[in-house]
Amino acid sequence: MRDARDSVESSVPNRSPTELREVELERLAALVQNRTPIRRLVRWVAGIRASVHTKLLAGFMVVALLFVAMAGVSLQTIVSATHQAQLLDAAHEQVSWAEQGEQALARQMHYTDLALLSQSEAAIAKILRENNRFNDMLAKLDASGMTEQGLLEQVRLSQDEAMGVVADIANAIRDGKIGAVTGLLLQRQEHLDEEITSRVGRLVEAERSRMTRLRDSVSAANRRSLILTAGFAVSAVALALFCGFVISWSFILPVRKAQRFLDQVAAGNFGRHISVANRDELGVLAERMNHMSDELHRFDSEQRRASSELVRLNDQLALASKAKSEFLANMSHELRTPMNAILGFTEMLLDGLYGDIPGELREPLADIQVNGRHLLHLINDVLDLSKIEAGRMDLALGEYSVREVVDVVHLSLRSLAAEKGLEFKTSVPDDLPPAYGDSRRLAQCLMNLAGNAIKFTRAGRVEIGVELAGDELVFRVADTGIGIPKEELENVFAEFRQVDTTVTREFGGTGLGLSITKKFVEMHGGRIWVESETGKGSTFLFAVPVWVKQEAA
Amino acid sequence: MRGRTVLYVEDNEYNRKIVRQLFSRTSYRLIEAIDGEAGVTLAREERPDLILMDVQLPKMSGLEATRVLKADARTSDIPVIVITSFALSGDREKAAEAGAASYLAKPYSPRELLALVRQYLPEPDNPSGGDK
Repeated sequence: MRDARDSVESSVPNRSPTELREVELERLAALVQNRTPIRRLVRWVAGIRASVHTKLLAGFMVVALLFVAMAGVSLQTIVSATHQAQLLDAAHEQVSWAEQGEQALARQMHYTDLALLSQSEAAIAKILRENNRFNDMLAKLDASGMTEQGLLEQVRLSQDEAMGVVADIANAIRDGKIGAVTGLLLQRQEHLDEEITSRVGRLVEAERSRMTRLRDSVSAANRRSLILTAGFAVSAVALALFCGFVISWSFILPVRKAQRFLDQVAAGNFGRHISVANRDELGVLAERMNHMSDELHRFDSEQRRASSELVRLNDQLALASKAKSEFLANMSHELRTPMNAILGFTEMLLDGLYGDIPGELREPLADIQVNGRHLLHLINDVLDLSKIEAGRMDLALGEYSVREVVDVVHLSLRSLAAEKGLEFKTSVPDDLPPAYGDSRRLAQCLMNLAGNAIKFTRAGRVEIGVELAGDELVFRVADTGIGIPKEELENVFAEFRQVDTTVTREFGGTGLGLSITKKFVEMHGGRIWVESETGKGSTFLFAVPVWVKQEAA
Repeated sequence: MRGRTVLYVEDNEYNRKIVRQLFSRTSYRLIEAIDGEAGVTLAREERPDLILMDVQLPKMSGLEATRVLKADARTSDIPVIVITSFALSGDREKAAEAGAASYLAKPYSPRELLALVRQYLPEPDNPSGGDK
């Protein structure tokens, strides 16, 4: 019962006084089970193949039967006490008869003496009367089944002899010769008297002592029945306690075990088994709990397998992602190296490094250069987008001047706008605070938007503007170009989309610029949108925080 | 300081040709290596005045070669311009970390490259056969 004691001791703190008393009781119960073989009995009771209901009923029945037995014993005691009392009464009567006999005998002797002295026949009649009384007494004693039959017989013989003497006296009186025989008869009479008196005295004594013995045995029987009754009561209580203890602990033990087991399950130790001695409802419950534990274990290990599989897949994905990044880096190198040669040679040709070039070659050479740059632009866009989508694009955050960003874009696109005869303006407030973000990527965004605006505007103007709205910077690129139909507005930021294919043919472009711009703006924690009307022009706007949060990047 | 020597470490033949032809009109003497190890060996032998180092090189990467040169007392004072074709953010920082003096992204304009070289090694007023 070590376990139970442990659990009791561990749960001692923070108990109310009543609970503490219970704890004390439990400690006692544990001690009883530890020090005695009761524990084995408890296990045996638990192992009985019967329901809890049956066991409880059996326990109560044992106690009830004990009480029935006790009632039987009490009844028997009462019957025997009554019998003893009757015996005692009978003994009493015999003693009194014996005493009456004694008195009758005394009177008979007295009258015999009187008859001898007075020599009258009247005394003889009295003697006979007393003799009858005496005989009556003897007959009663004899009928009552007294045990001293020998003594009774002797008394009877002596009495007969005495009556012989009386007869002699009576004859002598009648014959008138009493005077001659008085001395002799008196002598005989005295002798007989003594003998009878002593015998009757012994008889009376025997009856008295029989009564005393009977009285003693009655009081002994009373004592015995008292002890028996008390013993039965005590043992009934003890047996009731014992049955209660054994039966209740045969239930408490598995419940305790189940509690500990469930604690283990709750702590996540699945697959363990509980083993209880019980073969009743509690045993069935334990089996169910084992089944539950097995199922939990199965689910748990499946879950673990699945999660380790997920981890493995995740690792594979990470590897694949790394491979993709490496591929991108390599592609970047592999594509740029020949581009470097193409653009380098073209530039050197156009710069006259190889000598003057004929006029008719200048235009195709310039075309090569423009298309080469366009191809490079495409490559850059595709690689940028791939990197963004692979999550490998990191912003290089730093403090920047909004005006400088706008100026850089204006400077690089100024000649393009001028070639098309477009008005190209910027408007940046003077009082803008210093901003924090990736200025190169923001410039790229503006470059994409303004480049598009110039591309899609045949006449009119393109304007880059910036406004401070709360803690956001709103960049705006407005043009007076062809505009975007309403139904196409939501698609403009999708990859590889242009308003229609004829536009692509006329204006060129990769269709990636806007989606890259959108991604960069979103990486800054900002948003982008467009307002447009077909034929009148478009305004692209994006808002980014003045001070980009580190984790947003 | 006659014949300022520039070492160009680059594995692509056409890119070496561009620089060779670009430098043919200048006073610079160009020596070439086609991988990182050859670049380091040549730098130790020739002690050039400037090194143009491509990043993606066989045998030893340009950044590794730069580190080796910077760790070697014989070559540590030679400025290195790292040329990268990875437009990844952080490349500039990696180049600076390896000890590069400057950084140029591929594809570069020959004009820009020459301007950068001249920044580190000014040519005399009358370069032999310059285009300017």
